[in-house]
Amino acid sequence: MSEATVLADVLRRQGVSRRAFLKYASFVTSLMALPPALAPALAEGLAKARRQAVIWLSFQECTGCTESLTRSFSPSLEELIFEFISLDYHHTLQAASGEAAEAARRQSMHDNAGRYIVVVDGSVPAADGGVYSTIAGQTNLAILQETVAQAAAVVAVGTCAAFGGLPGADPNPTGAVAVSRLVTGKPLINISGCPPMPQAMAGTLAHILAFGKLPELDALGRPLAFFGETIHDRCYRRPYYERGMFARSFDDEGARHGWCLYELGCKGPVTYNACASLKWNGGVSFPVQSGHGCIGCSEPRFWDRGGLYRPLSSATASSGKVIGIAAAAGVAIGAGAAALARRRRGASADAAAPARAATADATAPARAATADAAAADRAAAGSAAKED
Amino acid sequence: MDALTPMRAPAFGEALAAPLLHEVLRALESLARDASHATVIDLRSLPLDEAARSALRGRLGRGEVEATLDVAGTTRIEESAYAGVWWVCHLAAEGAGAAAALEQIVVARVPELLLAHPEDVAEAAQRLAGELAATPCGAAP
Repeated sequence: MSEATVLADVLRRQGVSRRAFLKYASFVTSLMALPPALAPALAEGLAKARRQAVIWLSFQECTGCTESLTRSFSPSLEELIFEFISLDYHHTLQAASGEAAEAARRQSMHDNAGRYIVVVDGSVPAADGGVYSTIAGQTNLAILQETVAQAAAVVAVGTCAAFGGLPGADPNPTGAVAVSRLVTGKPLINISGCPPMPQAMAGTLAHILAFGKLPELDALGRPLAFFGETIHDRCYRRPYYERGMFARSFDDEGARHGWCLYELGCKGPVTYNACASLKWNGGVSFPVQSGHGCIGCSEPRFWDRGGLYRPLSSATASSGKVIGIAAAAGVAIGAGAAALARRRRGASADAAAPARAATADATAPARAATADAAAADRAAAGSAAKED
Repeated sequence: MDALTPMRAPAFGEALAAPLLHEVLRALESLARDASHATVIDLRSLPLDEAARSALRGRLGRGEVEATLDVAGTTRIEESAYAGVWWVCHLAAEGAGAAAALEQIVVARVPELLLAHPEDVAEAAQRLAGELAATPCGAAP
């Protein structure tokens, strides 16, 4: 492909019309809560973009993030992103293996120096020099450092890459850490979730391609379009929460009537993700709709927050205990917890403001905020453990 | 409170349908004044429940034009009973009953998605010319 070739030309040769660009742009603007009138501009931006080189590194992970994207329910739309990028390296998807695979990665790094995007799924084991996970004789740590050195941006997909995830759960024998702990001086986006929503991954990449800059990020470095509201904010069971009508076991009358799952451990009020609005499997459902509370998989240290089936009131820090007391009292809970969620959301937005204000290098302050927020989260988790 | 009586779905979705129709009206009036003034209303971003969506669809009715596009999945475009008001639905999967990945009300003379892009037209002209040049007159390509 010549340097001057743009996506519209490349894809036209493959039978992809400009209508497909416009349709995809409409989809992405909707996902990212952009004004619908921006769709034609986004489509033009995509059409005139160069095919973006992407190197996908898989470390301590389960391949669920890749599965989420490649097996999305509307493959024709979400998988269009694979037409827009040149996926030069991906363990699971590439045909090459062994030395040939590693050669492909280094070739792409050489050919696209300063321009390629590195996607990372999985946490990075940092203990003992990183010996707990190696690929082609190199530690994950060394591969990451080598690959991001000349990258234009880094996208950490999944909670493992974004926050350490399950490999980082106590007692964390491999010293697993988030990508943000190891990558400095590069724009970085976290797209958390276990797995992350395919729309969030595809939409974020499309935004970067079309507009040449990062989308607005929250305090944890996540795209606000997908992580700007809690599961609770958009939950269809919320009216029951506001009325203090809770299921207290998975087979009681409340559960059968679809009442709020807060007392069964739902982490929706403190979990920022788009599951409740976009839903999974082609918009069919999401965990709460299937009768199970949100487990908070897109938040830092979700595995160590005191138990998936324990109410927030007993599983987290003291602020949660205040909520728990209200819950025991019944109806009054709604306003209090909702206000707490709004406060957190407001604080999150405030913390993200510097990141939003900067455009060219938006991620530096965002990453600083990420570190602060992660530290606060660790402190909260530690506090909860002591209190428990 | 009767704890055993299933609670009715929130009514705010239905309440949204009425102002939405007024928004459609304003867009339609703008289109009547300026034929190039198109408006797109993204229904996915609104908290409409299924009942409200169906009521809105029913209220707008069916017009003269229906189109199905096979572009990165299936898209259905239907003109409503009000000329220039179109219901656009991108399906998330194939087959009857598939959920919508994106639903929009487009107020325009023709939704832009139906128009052939000038670059596609130019490429098509070039391709056809090449095929005709390579094929003896009257012979099948």
